[in-house]
Amino acid sequence: MNDVATQKTGFWTWLTGLANPTRFMGLADRWIPWLAAITTALLALGLWMSFNAPEDYQQGATVLIMFIHVPTVWLAMFCYLVMSISALGTLVWRHPLSDVALRAAAPIGAAFTLLGLITGSLWGKPMWGAWWVWDARLTSFLVLLIIYLGIISLGRALEEPTQAAKALAITTLVGFINLPIIKFSVDWFETLHQPASVSRLAKPAMDVAFLYPLLTMALAFSFLFATLHLMNMRNEILRRRIRSLKLRAAAGER
Amino acid sequence: MFGKHAAYIIPSYTLTVLVIAGLLLWILATYRKRKNEIAALEAKGIKRGAGGEQ
Repeated sequence: MNDVATQKTGFWTWLTGLANPTRFMGLADRWIPWLAAITTALLALGLWMSFNAPEDYQQGATVLIMFIHVPTVWLAMFCYLVMSISALGTLVWRHPLSDVALRAAAPIGAAFTLLGLITGSLWGKPMWGAWWVWDARLTSFLVLLIIYLGIISLGRALEEPTQAAKALAITTLVGFINLPIIKFSVDWFETLHQPASVSRLAKPAMDVAFLYPLLTMALAFSFLFATLHLMNMRNEILRRRIRSLKLRAAAGER
Repeated sequence: MFGKHAAYIIPSYTLTVLVIAGLLLWILATYRKRKNEIAALEAKGIKRGAGGEQ
C-alpha cells in the first residue's frame, strides 16, 4: 500500500517537475532522437508489410490506401483527445505544460485530419464512385478540421497568455463533443462509410494479412505524433522564452 | 504496378509524404529561427530571470 502511495507521489513529483521548462527541454532533447529512430524503423517495417500484403478480393490494390488512411484518421482523433486532456490540465490542475501541449498539438492534428480527408477521398472515388458525400462520418470529420483551424487561429489572435490558455482550453472542450459523433456516426446514421472493423469488442472483421500491416502503421503514426508533438512543444516553450526576454528588454528600456 | 487504381494509390502516398515532410520541416525551421532569436536577444545582454521562467 505504502509502495503504491510512494509510486503515486513519485509520478506526481516528476509531473510537477516538468513545469520547469528548462527541465522539460532537457528531457525533450534526450527523447526526441530516440522517438524519431523508433518512428523511422516502424514506418519502414509498416510500409514493407503494407506493400507485401495481398490485394483485397473486392477492393483490389486500393487496400493500400487503407494503411495510411486509417492511421491518419485515428491519430487525428487521438490528437484531439490529447488536447482535451491538456485543456483539463489547464483548467483543473493549472499545469503550465498543459497549455503548451494543447497549442503544440493543434497544427499536427490539423495536418492528420487533412490527410484523413484527402486519402479518404482518394479511396472513396474508386470504391463508392464519389470523391465526397455529405454524410455524417465525412461531414463530422470535416468539422474536426474546422475546429482545429479555429483553435490555431484563436491561439494566434489572443496575446495575453493566461486569457489565451483559458479560452483555448474551453474551446477545445466544447469541440470534444465532435469526437463521439465521428466515432458513432456510422452506427447512428445512414452512411456510405463502413462501420468499425478493427476496434470492435468481438473479433476484428479483417483478415490478419491486412490487420498486422495496419496495426504496425498505426503504431508508427503514433510514434510519429509523439515525436512531432514533443518537437513542437519545444518550439512553443522557446516562443514563450522570446516573449519573456522581449518583455524584460522593454521593461529595461523604460 | 497498381493496375487501374494507380491514379488513386500514388497520389495518396505522395500527398501523405508531402504533408508530413512539410510539417516536419516547418517544425524544424521554427526551432532554428527561435533558437537564433533567443541567441540574438541574449547577445544584447537580455537574460532570463532565475528559475527559468517561461
